Amino acid sequence: MAKDKIINVTLKVWRQKNAESKGHFETYDAKDVNVNMSFLEMLDVVNEDLILAGKSPIAFDHDCREGICGTCGAMVNGYAHGPDKAVTLCQVHMRSFKNGETIVIEPFRAKAFPVIKDLAVDRRSMDRIIAKGGYISVKTGNAPDAHATPVQKKASDLAMDAAACVGCGACVAACPNASASLFVGAKVSHMGLLPQGQPERKQRVQNMVWQMDSEGFGNCSNAYQCEAACPKEISVDNIARMNRDINRCGN
Amino acid sequence: MKLSSIRKKQIVAVSGLAMVGFLLAHLSGNLLLFKGPEAYNAYADFLHSLGPILWVLRLGLIGAVLLHIIFTVLIVKENRQARKDRYAVVQDHRNERSLAVKLMPYTGFVILAYIIIHLLDFTFADKTTIINGVDYGLYGLVITTLRNPLHAAAYIIAMFSIGFHLSHAFQSVVQTFGLSSEKSRPKLMLASLVFGLGVALAYSSIPLYVVATFR
Repeated sequence: MAKDKIINVTLKVWRQKNAESKGHFETYDAKDVNVNMSFLEMLDVVNEDLILAGKSPIAFDHDCREGICGTCGAMVNGYAHGPDKAVTLCQVHMRSFKNGETIVIEPFRAKAFPVIKDLAVDRRSMDRIIAKGGYISVKTGNAPDAHATPVQKKASDLAMDAAACVGCGACVAACPNASASLFVGAKVSHMGLLPQGQPERKQRVQNMVWQMDSEGFGNCSNAYQCEAACPKEISVDNIARMNRDINRCGN
Repeated sequence: MKLSSIRKKQIVAVSGLAMVGFLLAHLSGNLLLFKGPEAYNAYADFLHSLGPILWVLRLGLIGAVLLHIIFTVLIVKENRQARKDRYAVVQDHRNERSLAVKLMPYTGFVILAYIIIHLLDFTFADKTTIINGVDYGLYGLVITTLRNPLHAAAYIIAMFSIGFHLSHAFQSVVQTFGLSSEKSRPKLMLASLVFGLGVALAYSSIPLYVVATFR
């Protein structure tokens, strides 16, 4: 079996003790990195060394490590979720980097995403938006038959595309204005496209947009960076749909 | 009344569209310059003869300019607040993130500065231009002003700022009202660019013509 390629990289990592403290960059050498490691595994190895040296390990968000939970995320060399297209940070592998490269790692930065520690950010602002309308109010009881409510194929496809949003916050991180429009657009669309979502459609978009505004996210200026950064390739059509739905409401 | 972020953007969009309407009307008038002094001055006289209607249009335009600026300032202030801690390194996530988007505030400022210069040059200036004993009126004023290469250059720079501004703005308006789709967006972006450049070139033809013809 061929031997795995090994590289050495230098990490410039944002270290911040807590939300109140001022952060700074620290430089670490990551030596003998197997290129088949995931980016987060590389950080695990660096952390092991830090712990052995009696230092505080780099805090970063992670959970499923297979790109479906939306927990991980950081700005890597200026890209949300790193340089690869349509993946979360946990799906980035070290083969995407060159030997001897310096990798700058920063947290997702937004007023609505305060830093908890190092690269870990508080994204509960998104949860509060979901709480305002990311659901359908129904009477409970037996599950209805799957074909009880007919859904058009096109609507179902678009709703599924919107529902692919894992709520990682990369759209906010990549937006020059830290706007959450793509996230909210996806959540509004995913319900608003389906027949089950119709009764609360107006109220939902209004409430979710109000909450988005009050959380201190910026305004969309149609730079479409969100769509390009999204690990699930959510289309800015969802923002257009949200804007259309707002047009049916008051203000 | 509190307005949602989307509504605020739509106010910027509509006031911008109103200004684009003015820009096209103004351009159609300006191009009469190529027909000669009579046609050009007659058009200016016609506009002035409108009396109160002209003032309604003027007030509407001033209103649009003010709304556009006020709401843009509000939005930009919020955007700055939304990311107080800047990234040390940030990349464009797509190559198409055009220069136009990044330059929107700067092109906006250039346009505003030029509106002031333009009003001083033409609107508030004395419009009697006697050349060889003949009063060429506004036509003469335009020719004598734009013959100066500095004025001509300022004019062209301002027009390309407008063109650049529009190349992002036009498709942005459609998206802000939710009327664009994945299919139409690339075409809209291209149309926006062509429209912006078209406006810039059409306007710039005037100072270029003046500088080339009346040396």
